[in-house]
Amino acid sequence: MDIGVLQNRVDKELSSIKTIDDVRKAKVSLLGRKGIFSEYIENIKLLDKGERKGAGQEINAHKLRTESRLRELEDFYGEEEKKKREAASRIDITMPGKMPLAGKKHPLTQTLDEMIRIFTSLGFSVAEGPDIELEYYNFEALNIPADHPARDMQDTFYIQNGIVLRTHTSPVQIRVMESQLPPVKIIAPGTVYRCDNDISHTPMFHQVEGLMVDKNVRFSDLKGILSMFVQDMFGKDTPLRFRPSYFPFTEPSAEVDIGCVICGGTGCRVCKDTGWIEIIGSGMVHPQVFRNVGYDQEEITGFAFGMGVERVAMIRYGIDDIRQFYYNDIRFLSQF
Amino acid sequence: MKVPFEWLREFVVIDMDPQDLAVKLTMCGLEVEGTEKQAPSFRGVVAGRITGIDKHPDAENLVICMIDTGRETLPIVCGAKNMAAGDKVPLATVGAKLKDGFVVEKKKIRGIESSGMLCSEKELGLSDDHSGIFILPDECTVGKWLHEETMVQDVILDINIPPNRGDCLSMYGIAREVGSILDQRAKLPIFNLETDAGKKVKDYVSLKVLNTDACPRYVLRLINGISIGTSPFWMRNRLIKCGMRPINTIVDVTNYVMLELGQPLHAFDYHRIRGKRIEVRLADKEAAFRTLDGQEQKLLQGDILICDGEGPVALAGIMGGENSEISESTEDVALESAYFNPLYIRKTTRRLGIKSEASLRFEKGIDIDNVGFAAERAIFFMNRLSGGKVMKGEREVHEKKELKTLFVTYSNINGLLGTHISQQDITKILRSIDIHIKKEGEEGLLITIPNFRHDIDEPADIVEEISRLYGYDRIPATRPVSALSGQKRSAREVSLDTTKEYFKGAGFFELINFAFFSEKDRENFLIPPADERASFVGIVNPISREYGVMRTFIAPGVLKSIAYNINRGAKNLRFFEKGKVFFLSGEGKPYERTAICFAMTGREAEFFWRDKYSDYDFFDIKGIMEGLMGAFGVTFSLRKTAEPFLNPQRGADILVDGVQAGWIGELREEVLKLYEIEQSIYCAELQFDIILQKVKLEVQYSPIPRFPQVTRDFSFFIDDLVPVGMLTDKIRGVSPLITSVGIFDMFKKEKRSVSFRVIFQSYEDTLTDEEVNRLQETIIKELTNIDGISLRA
Repeated sequence: MDIGVLQNRVDKELSSIKTIDDVRKAKVSLLGRKGIFSEYIENIKLLDKGERKGAGQEINAHKLRTESRLRELEDFYGEEEKKKREAASRIDITMPGKMPLAGKKHPLTQTLDEMIRIFTSLGFSVAEGPDIELEYYNFEALNIPADHPARDMQDTFYIQNGIVLRTHTSPVQIRVMESQLPPVKIIAPGTVYRCDNDISHTPMFHQVEGLMVDKNVRFSDLKGILSMFVQDMFGKDTPLRFRPSYFPFTEPSAEVDIGCVICGGTGCRVCKDTGWIEIIGSGMVHPQVFRNVGYDQEEITGFAFGMGVERVAMIRYGIDDIRQFYYNDIRFLSQF
Repeated sequence: MKVPFEWLREFVVIDMDPQDLAVKLTMCGLEVEGTEKQAPSFRGVVAGRITGIDKHPDAENLVICMIDTGRETLPIVCGAKNMAAGDKVPLATVGAKLKDGFVVEKKKIRGIESSGMLCSEKELGLSDDHSGIFILPDECTVGKWLHEETMVQDVILDINIPPNRGDCLSMYGIAREVGSILDQRAKLPIFNLETDAGKKVKDYVSLKVLNTDACPRYVLRLINGISIGTSPFWMRNRLIKCGMRPINTIVDVTNYVMLELGQPLHAFDYHRIRGKRIEVRLADKEAAFRTLDGQEQKLLQGDILICDGEGPVALAGIMGGENSEISESTEDVALESAYFNPLYIRKTTRRLGIKSEASLRFEKGIDIDNVGFAAERAIFFMNRLSGGKVMKGEREVHEKKELKTLFVTYSNINGLLGTHISQQDITKILRSIDIHIKKEGEEGLLITIPNFRHDIDEPADIVEEISRLYGYDRIPATRPVSALSGQKRSAREVSLDTTKEYFKGAGFFELINFAFFSEKDRENFLIPPADERASFVGIVNPISREYGVMRTFIAPGVLKSIAYNINRGAKNLRFFEKGKVFFLSGEGKPYERTAICFAMTGREAEFFWRDKYSDYDFFDIKGIMEGLMGAFGVTFSLRKTAEPFLNPQRGADILVDGVQAGWIGELREEVLKLYEIEQSIYCAELQFDIILQKVKLEVQYSPIPRFPQVTRDFSFFIDDLVPVGMLTDKIRGVSPLITSVGIFDMFKKEKRSVSFRVIFQSYEDTLTDEEVNRLQETIIKELTNIDGISLRA
């Protein structure tokens, strides 16, 4: 056994290493199961007993040195190789990225969802009613008798004798009160219909109705709830005012105005130079409405409110033509 | 209603400018929708006095007026005839700008130099009157610029009167409100009526009211020997500012007093009243009657009629008859001032579709106590403007009723409002709106309501009066005492939310279409008349034929939205819409359901530089459906469809537990053509209510397996007519250890080759090769037992 030959063979292998691949090959040919060192270690058996120990130690020491040297070479060529790979991986990162497919909810739905979120957080639950409604629920039960002047304010689509497309979501109030006892705390979002079609009217639009009935519900509570809604919907510093108005099914009635978001209150076309925009109709439930649903109006009180989803969305997004919501133009829908 | 500020000030002291008053009115329930400044557009017009009029030497139709302007006297050539020496007239001096930018120059007219021109009202833009020179009222100061005179300047408030506040439909009515807001008192006008003691009304006309429910008060007055002319500028100006057209001295007075006091009036030509008697009664049979607008009206039982000795002369409270109408030659006038019951008037106006300023006021209810005063006021003006003599006295029927009485408690008021308004403040507010306090008690107040307030019926109405005059801004904002209670959202709400979120995540845009469509849409979709979707809920008064019926399915609207966008350059679209659909039952009763429709056309995107996209096909929309149903936790199957609008090779019915819940597939070319679409559309529509019954929203956790899974691939030749979908079910059915069956390849050379990847998984232990081999054998046997299937080697 000639350690010198081993030394030569190892040195030759190591010195021929030029790449990381050479390192890997050398690892196999030197240190592998059938490598040079294995061969020499195997051959130790052939030596005399007395020589075995010394040769073994010498080969082992040699092997350790070789291993260490190979690690060095591996690190060096590994690093070099990595750099090359990285360099080769160059791409033009200014090329456009691939967007995932993403759709959008209609802006009215987004606005409505937000309104529902706010009112449910204030303890209201959602109620529904039919779009095709009995004239009784749409009018009479809400204290709007057949010849009442308030019917002049609404242009109703008629379906049959006594059946209409609901002109507001208020009939849901009646349906809910007829089916349960107080306390009642609901909102009723939905589609409503009026015979109107121009830049500020569509024959179908959306409203959210609200109703809270219990012992000791006060006008001041109405102010409290609607103030919280306005602040959540339009921002904490949104100015708002309550002003007397008229609805047949509330008494007293109040219109809620918010400071014009377009001009900031200095006056513009949107707010008709008043600095205020009307957004909510509201009031204390009229005693006649309670009598109509069989509630004891001496015992309980309540407030109701209603607002147009389109109007809120128009204010929220700065849209000036209500019909935009119904063209379903993708260039419109994709903006929200 | 238009309310000229200067007119309003005749009745009440207003110590603020119109803008501030507008805010106050708005905050007390009379919303001022706008204020319009009335200011003349002319400049350089001075008030002058005519000191003399000479004939023009060369023109017969012209005169030369010498005008004193306060500084000098100028000769002005003029063609009008209505002026006389001493009159004050508007002189447009050289350089003056008149209506429409016309500039006055110095020029010679037929040889005579004119240093300006005298103007008509029309030339100044004050009215349409061009009949002569505008003779200025005496108040005008000679030498003062006319545009600085208050008579041509004003601010007009546009007030939105609530429908229940008929008492505010007059200057005096508004003034009364202003008074209560500003702590002032509105005052009725004071005037002095001179009557002719020699002639008494009762000698010239008789009056009978047959139904005092319909007409509880009726007053008739007479004036004779009048000559009708043009009303003075101030009256015409006020009428114009209120949006009314001046006619003549009689008509203008009736309109003027109506605007002033809220009392509609009617003037008859006395000589056309047959039998010199007036009778108020209800029509007892159908009849025809020609109103003064020349229209033939059909009278029905219950209409209130004003009749003379022979028949109707007016449709009470709505419009006079042609047969008794006054004309330019009328000399004697019978003036009617009355209260008609709103219920009767509303019924008649609604039926006939007539609306007049008079009927509007009667419908809402006028002040019965003011009927006599308004008659006096009007006859006074007629006398002043048209001359003649007012006959002494009047004919009157007046059925008096007691005032409404109410009892309101202080706790009614403060309890409902959440306030602590003092008893003193409450009584003060009530007195300010003419509510009489009969008794002031410990608990509350006994009050009477004046007749002009038709809107006050019960304590809540009094609470409203107090709150609005107290000021809504002074009422606190509180948190309700009533406890908050959470409530679990209904399965319907959650499922609809899931739907919207799912489609959003899947790259779909939500549409909202009107819930109407037309019967044509059913035809376009080739749906036979016997189909449920042809049982339309029709609209009696649709806005157009295109929206004549309620939709019975959503797809036509979605298709129209796709066409709309394609026409505007879009090609690749993914839309969904959820909404109600409406049907008519066999008994003719409408019912409604909720439906979900989604559609896709084109491809995922027009291009991406790295990848190629293929056009959408059936499997894209099917995948969307699978994902949606997965989100609902609902399993479904497909069945050959008979939907006439679907390509039968690429369409299917959707079954949920054997119940048809919708359809899916490629829309037929001939349907698309009708909507002018030339590219393939894949579409599906689901009945949400059916799916909702099967929805599983509760999620139950299943443990993650601790043992490795084994994957095996199989390839078979499968005849084209054997549905592969059935085979995956079959494989899955072989053993509960099979957790997934996928198809990872399909190609066709001579025969169709399909490759399945099957995953085996046990929750109990690691599967051995033998176990898996055994299952593999079973799968191969099960499938190759089917006709048309063989194992691909």
